[in-house]
Amino acid sequence: MRLAGRLGGAALSLVMVAVLGFFLFRVVPGDPVVSMTRGRPTTAAMQAELRAQFGLDRPLHEQFFSYVSSLLHGDLGTSFTFRRPVAEVIGERLGPTVLLVGTATLIAVGLGLWLGVRAAWRRDSAFDRATTGVSLTLWAVPTFWLGMLLMMVTGDLFPSRGMRDTDTAPDFVSQALDVAHHLVLPSITLVAVVCAEYVLIMRSSLLEEMHAPYLVTARAKGLRDDLVRRRHAVPNAVLPAITLVFLRFGLVVAGAITTETVFSWPGLGLLFYDALTGPDYFLLQGLLLVTAGAVVVMNLLADLLHGVLDPRVKAV
Amino acid sequence: MNGFNADGFNADGFNAARLLEHKAGVAGAAILAVAALVAVVAPLLIPADALDVTRVTDPPWQAPGAGHWLGTDHTGRSIALLMVQGAGTSLFVGLTAAVLAVAIGALVGVVSGHFGGLLAGALLRVTDFFLVLPALVLAIALSTVLPRGLSTIVLAIGLTSWPSTARVVRAQTLTIEARPFVERARALGGGHGHVIARHVMPSVVPLVLVNATLAVASAIVAESTLAFLGLGDPTRISWGALLHQAQLHGAVPQRAWWFLLPPGAAIVVVVLAFTLVGRALEAVVTPKR
Amino acid sequence: MKNTGLELRNLTVHYGHKRVVNDVSLALAPGQTLGLAGESGSGKSTVAMSVLRLLPKSARVDGEILLDGDDVRAMSWGRLRAVRWASASIVFQGAMHSLNPVRRVGDQIAEPMRLHNTPGSVTELLSQVELPEDKARAYPHELSGGQRQRVMIAMALACGPRLVIADEPTTALDVVVQAQVLGLVKRLVAEQDLGLLMISHDLSVLAETCDDLAVMHRGELVERGGTREVIANPRHPHTAALAAAFPVIGDPNHRLAGPGESTRGAFVLQERTEGPRVPSAAEPLLQVRDLRVDYGRTRAVDGVDLTIGHGEIVALVGQSGSGKTTLARTIMGLRNPSSGRVIFDGREVPRKGRALKAFRRQVQLVLQDPASALNPRHKVIDAVAEGLRVHGLPGDEESLVTAAVERAELRPASEYLQSLPHELSGGQQQRVVIAGALVLQPRLLVADEPVASLDASVRGEIVALLLRLRRELGLASLIITHDLGLAWQIADRVAVMHQGKIVEQGSVEQVLLDPTHDYTRALVRAVPQV
Repeated sequence: MRLAGRLGGAALSLVMVAVLGFFLFRVVPGDPVVSMTRGRPTTAAMQAELRAQFGLDRPLHEQFFSYVSSLLHGDLGTSFTFRRPVAEVIGERLGPTVLLVGTATLIAVGLGLWLGVRAAWRRDSAFDRATTGVSLTLWAVPTFWLGMLLMMVTGDLFPSRGMRDTDTAPDFVSQALDVAHHLVLPSITLVAVVCAEYVLIMRSSLLEEMHAPYLVTARAKGLRDDLVRRRHAVPNAVLPAITLVFLRFGLVVAGAITTETVFSWPGLGLLFYDALTGPDYFLLQGLLLVTAGAVVVMNLLADLLHGVLDPRVKAV
Repeated sequence: MNGFNADGFNADGFNAARLLEHKAGVAGAAILAVAALVAVVAPLLIPADALDVTRVTDPPWQAPGAGHWLGTDHTGRSIALLMVQGAGTSLFVGLTAAVLAVAIGALVGVVSGHFGGLLAGALLRVTDFFLVLPALVLAIALSTVLPRGLSTIVLAIGLTSWPSTARVVRAQTLTIEARPFVERARALGGGHGHVIARHVMPSVVPLVLVNATLAVASAIVAESTLAFLGLGDPTRISWGALLHQAQLHGAVPQRAWWFLLPPGAAIVVVVLAFTLVGRALEAVVTPKR
Repeated sequence: MKNTGLELRNLTVHYGHKRVVNDVSLALAPGQTLGLAGESGSGKSTVAMSVLRLLPKSARVDGEILLDGDDVRAMSWGRLRAVRWASASIVFQGAMHSLNPVRRVGDQIAEPMRLHNTPGSVTELLSQVELPEDKARAYPHELSGGQRQRVMIAMALACGPRLVIADEPTTALDVVVQAQVLGLVKRLVAEQDLGLLMISHDLSVLAETCDDLAVMHRGELVERGGTREVIANPRHPHTAALAAAFPVIGDPNHRLAGPGESTRGAFVLQERTEGPRVPSAAEPLLQVRDLRVDYGRTRAVDGVDLTIGHGEIVALVGQSGSGKTTLARTIMGLRNPSSGRVIFDGREVPRKGRALKAFRRQVQLVLQDPASALNPRHKVIDAVAEGLRVHGLPGDEESLVTAAVERAELRPASEYLQSLPHELSGGQQQRVVIAGALVLQPRLLVADEPVASLDASVRGEIVALLLRLRRELGLASLIITHDLGLAWQIADRVAVMHQGKIVEQGSVEQVLLDPTHDYTRALVRAVPQV
């Protein structure tokens, strides 16, 4: 029952994403073809041809139906800059982004939750103040600026552009080491910004839980302080924190766009930058659909995971 | 029930923490006052020539020194003057976008919290939908399709960052509506208008204030990000736009730290100041349990 | 281990400069049962918590707390942890929150056994508290309130302590369940020869379970003795007030609403309302006919008929979830019925619009917890004038408000008008709520548990006020309560509600002294007798 509801909700969200994607790029002032070809020498005939090619000369409802039907076939249109199907371009760039975002998220979640728990448990200790202070500051730091700073400070210590060098030996180990080497700065940047948020989430979640009467019960039973924390307080506090972490997945996506742009990491974020400098509306629309869709799916996963971890949810 | 509630536990150090938070809040407010003063007064004092690329005569990429105590950019303009000039844009966008976002959020929140039924369900659905979507991605898409300009940035940020306020305001509205004093007001004959005006709004307004302060912080970061991606108003100088220029013209490989450091640091300081003020307000506004 | 029970010597507890427990000395021999009574804020729970040193760090504790001869205050952390639960355990109030919501109750019962290396089995403990063994795999939210409290008791017995401290163990429970849990505690204490320190604001609960009784008032121990003796011959006035607050059903001395009062009320009303709408004696003030209210698929109110005469006080009695609150809200027009009729003063209650708003002047609501029934931001004058402003009534607002406030016996009114709710005591707050209702000159007062959250000493005053309003203004009341004692004190008639239906109604004497329906009998039997 609950599962069906959640799946239905996610499906509805995906439909809303699709509709949003369509209207965002159609119901705008001005002619998309004009703005896409801005700054390039084009004739009126070329513009008309483009319009026909993208179906922009047809009535809106026809455009919508053909948009929906091609979407159902996995067709996201043709990229104006790359002159190739958008789905294909996006597919090629998926891997690097998953690698970067995956690495950064894992580190940030682990580090963030750990720091948050320690800070909350020793509230107002020097550790808590330092952690909270650093987190608040990092939260205020624009991701791209942090990336640029790191690049400047580390100098030649780490590669700062792309994902691999062209002259690396082709064997797997050398390739993997090379990618890992390239991964250092972008993932530090992303971790720093995202982790700050997670620390604050986890800290406030545990602080909420510290008022709970069942912790007094645990203490009365004779449990040591750290056992009260480990066995009782943290398991309860982690549940809402994990849900929030998944909910804020959009934050990681946003961070990835600027991080990839700064470090020329060849993933979806850099593609986003390419698409908006074009501007390449179809590519942008495709990217919007893919990232928003991914976020919706992550959210669904969080919901389902919460259902597995929290016994109270089943009853609802 | 009996004078000994669970809230008493772990209450140690509680007052010290609040005091500290307030101190930080006071410091934040002081920083903001200075920033606002600079933003308002400085443009009046800077000669237009100093920021005109075609009229500056100083050499580009000058390190900080006697002539320009923050050095010069790739065209030879003084970084210090650019910084001062940029403060206005960054603060203006941050404030207006936050006001827009919080206004939408408060409206949606109160309406969906107070009125039940289909409308509330639909609003909640839409709020949750936008809450999950990456706001920055939407803002980028919006500012790409709309004509470049200050109003576009404000719209793009304002229209994409209201859901968190809506969520908080809705939760607060529901909490208040569940209180017996609202039932009492209904029993006295009070209608929607009465309940909203006399009971819901007074408790929502402080919360909205807190959210607005925090929203300014994220709006400033968002503005700098959009500007960095080249989506800013090309006719105006902002801190984000300066960083865009720095990236574009290779400040990093040239190790021109004076071009890179000040705009970013200014953003961090102002954003942090808004956050601290917001948190202090939150501590005051939220009744301690 | 020597077993000398619990002894408190000159226990004093401060929070900052506030002294919450003042020089309390108390001894409890092994196997003895002692009830500790007191109102909220009397310091009784602080005493209980200090025994296992569970007070927050901000509390300063002076004096001696000797548990089996050792001073708890002086113990090392290791020794203290060993003593906790093994020498003395606690049954906390509000089992819902005192159990960890995400761990199975079996684990939670077993946890102290593992910790203290005590032999025994969870199944055995569950059977002692009369729970089936498969409940060990349940989570707290899957159990009923009574079952959760049984789990708490099983948990308290897990390490075979010689002393059990029970802190308001039945406060949140319904009467029938409360009687079962108290019976269980009594049996276990007798069987296992346990020492019991039971804390409650309710003397009848303590009388049911404890041989001895101690009474606390404002942090001090004011009385100590055999339970029956203390209740029968209280020496301290505060004890007397506590005892008086729990009326004995059937005792005419505790019956405050004399026979014939309601007719007198109706008479006054007739005098007051001259004009075209003089109520005829035959036509009751309120008639509810075959009323049904559905919440989705559940039927909360199922075919109810109820009548309230002019100036009559009717008690609607039932457990939580019986539908009594929904019925009251529907009568007030705060909910729409699924079917059936509500007729007020000969006319059907309107469902919406101006007519409904006008109707609401006639019927006013008094809620259980006055602290939450008043907007904490509104001054007394604004809270009382709220109704006047909503209806845009003419007249000098301040004098109307003053009159209503003084009617509710807050005198002089000028002293209270500018106060905020938190500056008032619970009883004063409830008077403000009542004044806010009176200012609209209603004909019927619907009072939902009007004294349940008030301290015992205030309770009697509010009951007296409601009766006086009836006598002087002819104000009829529908009192919703789970408390049969209150019904005995105040009502002319009683209606018993069970699972959405009214299973029995009639005069107070008839229903409470000679109940005919099984459910009413169970309710009456469950009332702990002093």
